[in-house]
Amino acid sequence: MNELLKNNYEVSKSSPVKLSSHHLLAIEGMQKSEIQKLLDRADYFANLDKHTDTKYLSGYVVLNVFFENSTRTRVSFELAARRLGAEVINISLINSSIKKGESLLDTASTLNAMKPDLLIVRHPHSGAPLLFAKYLSCSIINAGDGRHEHPTQALLDALTIKRRIGYLEGLKISICGDIANSRVARSNIHLLTTMGAEVRCVAPSTLMPSSLEKLGVKCFNDMKEGIKDTDVVMLLRLQNERMSGTENPSEREYFKFFGLDETKLSMANSNAVIMHPGPMNRGVEIASALADDTNRSLIKTQVEMGVAVRMSIIEALNHSKNKT
Amino acid sequence: MTYSIFKSVKLINPATNFNQKTTVVIKNDKIIKISKDFNLEQFKKDKQTIIYDCDGLTISPGIFDMRVNIGKTENLKSTQITAAENGITSMAILPNQTPKLNNPSIIDHIKRQSEDINLPKVMVYGAATKDLNSLEMSEIGLMSEMGAIGFTNGNKSIKNSLVMRRLMSYAAMINRPVIQHAEDEDLSGLNQASTTSIKGEMNEGEISTRLGLIGIPACAEVIMIERDIRLAKLTGVHYHVAHVSTRDAVNVIREAKKSGLNITCDTAPPYFALNESKLLTYNTAFKLSPPLRSEDDRLAIIEGIQDGTIDAIASDHRARSKDTKAQPFSAASVGASGIETLFSITLDLVNKNIVDINKAISFLTINPAKIFGIDSPSLEEEKVADFIVFDENELHTIKQENLKTSPTPFDGKEIHGKILATYINGQVACMNQIFKNKIIK
Repeated sequence: MNELLKNNYEVSKSSPVKLSSHHLLAIEGMQKSEIQKLLDRADYFANLDKHTDTKYLSGYVVLNVFFENSTRTRVSFELAARRLGAEVINISLINSSIKKGESLLDTASTLNAMKPDLLIVRHPHSGAPLLFAKYLSCSIINAGDGRHEHPTQALLDALTIKRRIGYLEGLKISICGDIANSRVARSNIHLLTTMGAEVRCVAPSTLMPSSLEKLGVKCFNDMKEGIKDTDVVMLLRLQNERMSGTENPSEREYFKFFGLDETKLSMANSNAVIMHPGPMNRGVEIASALADDTNRSLIKTQVEMGVAVRMSIIEALNHSKNKT
Repeated sequence: MTYSIFKSVKLINPATNFNQKTTVVIKNDKIIKISKDFNLEQFKKDKQTIIYDCDGLTISPGIFDMRVNIGKTENLKSTQITAAENGITSMAILPNQTPKLNNPSIIDHIKRQSEDINLPKVMVYGAATKDLNSLEMSEIGLMSEMGAIGFTNGNKSIKNSLVMRRLMSYAAMINRPVIQHAEDEDLSGLNQASTTSIKGEMNEGEISTRLGLIGIPACAEVIMIERDIRLAKLTGVHYHVAHVSTRDAVNVIREAKKSGLNITCDTAPPYFALNESKLLTYNTAFKLSPPLRSEDDRLAIIEGIQDGTIDAIASDHRARSKDTKAQPFSAASVGASGIETLFSITLDLVNKNIVDINKAISFLTINPAKIFGIDSPSLEEEKVADFIVFDENELHTIKQENLKTSPTPFDGKEIHGKILATYINGQVACMNQIFKNKIIK
């Protein structure tokens, strides 16, 4: 790295990122440079001592609005916001106003009337955060919408890979499993292809969405072929709640052909790492021993990076709103 | 003795293949004269005679909109009024309203309720099966006696093959068509569950994959049509496919027509004017059934219109409340308004040189009438004066805020062609200010 570039890099790491939007709704459409800056800033946060004062956002109000169950994502966002000094309120709307018949937009505008700075939204319907962004004045982060996108997951996955391997461009990355129902897969496909990685998707034909190759990936039904010489094996959870029961004959059959075990993993690059967005089904997507193999499995690092990535995003959205 | 005279008007009458500049005189409910050169003076003496200078304007038969859903946001009368304002002089309504149109007395009731000399005539489809559930045939003979023009499950397909066979056989006996919303509902995921999480939401393809919405494969349409064609052969029924939306469907119908089968079909403006790429922002105004298809399918619909495989264009009007549309895509209602844009989007086919104006008007007038064996609307002397006056060239922009029904999938579209007046039984059903200004006496 020459001196000038190095200086720029240090500058981008030590100051908030400015984005072209004050929402984070999807990775699709994001510029490579924006992704790069968010990752650099998150890397900076990840390197900080836990007790370093990063309370830049005192008085900033964050509503964590979850229309779907979540533990890790909700807690990760909450920690990120708190480490930035923001006020965080968690709202679970799985059973409340929706059941009373209130429309989603009424719920959203009620929350908006309380003048939060940021709504973090998880919703079972694809596109719901976009609807929020259209009608509400505060910033919106998509914390997972239906089968559409989960942008912060893709960013934290990218940071995890970068910190382990050092770079993304040119890496061979295989995303394996229930692609059809996965928002994590879509966000990762967009992010990794934007950053210049070679992305392969491995799934049974029933869980491979239509025309997926048009998103710039190679598609495989044979897992051994799909992870051959790959640098990263990303596994996805079988989302039974989004299936009709006709996609898979059984879990044991799935594991036989699409579950990651030593034999299949031996096809990959010998240094290949394993990732999973969680929660994982041991013995279905991944052999239990592999999940716990700390040399190869980055699953815990992914969770750890989640907080740093979300800090960089929350900070960036605040910064981008103030400046626009 | 009052005369209305339309001077120097271009008269388009597909039934007689007439397209000329002429002058039209109407009296009471009839057209009494169509002639290029005659003395206006004799009429001018009459104090009540109104003469319109129609130079640059066009008269054609009024529109027969053969597919109108009356949903919760409307009632029959309000729909009739809006229809009249948009050039529709007859319309056929679907049975899937509340209550369902599934027995003779309700058909009779609707017919009586809608009888207004100065509003569009209402024709009624009877429910093909009781409760529209594809399990038991309705009293289609009795409904037919009360004037039902055909039988359909509306926006649901007639799914059960045995029921369809019996229905077709019986409908053939009483000489009425069976109208199918062609969709294999198992394949499109509509029968699987009550949750939206696995229900088909849009056309399957790259865009559904990008958006993370559940795809409905295009073949869900043709699969149903292919089955029905075999049953139509078996029973000899007149089979009509509603709102055709895919290339495969057009191809199969074209072949069936060639083989001499009594099969007809219609499409609706969204299917020849729009494609699935409109959904990229999750705009629920484009959530339709059948879903907006690929660009290749759209082009095939246009080919079908050009070569006559497609017989008619209907609005497929299915207005929805703003509340049910201001929802995440998966939770939003299905359907869009149509009666207010049917004419101008169809006329756009002429501006795009896809069909000539006589043909475009045929799709909206005589062709649907032929499907149901109804007297073709024709503008000739001594015929009933049901017609529209329009300006083919008037450029305007379709704007949701100016429409009475919602949502329109054509918001913001700039378009040529505007209805200026609608006459039903020789009476003004609606007339806009531009046309009022054309009065010269």
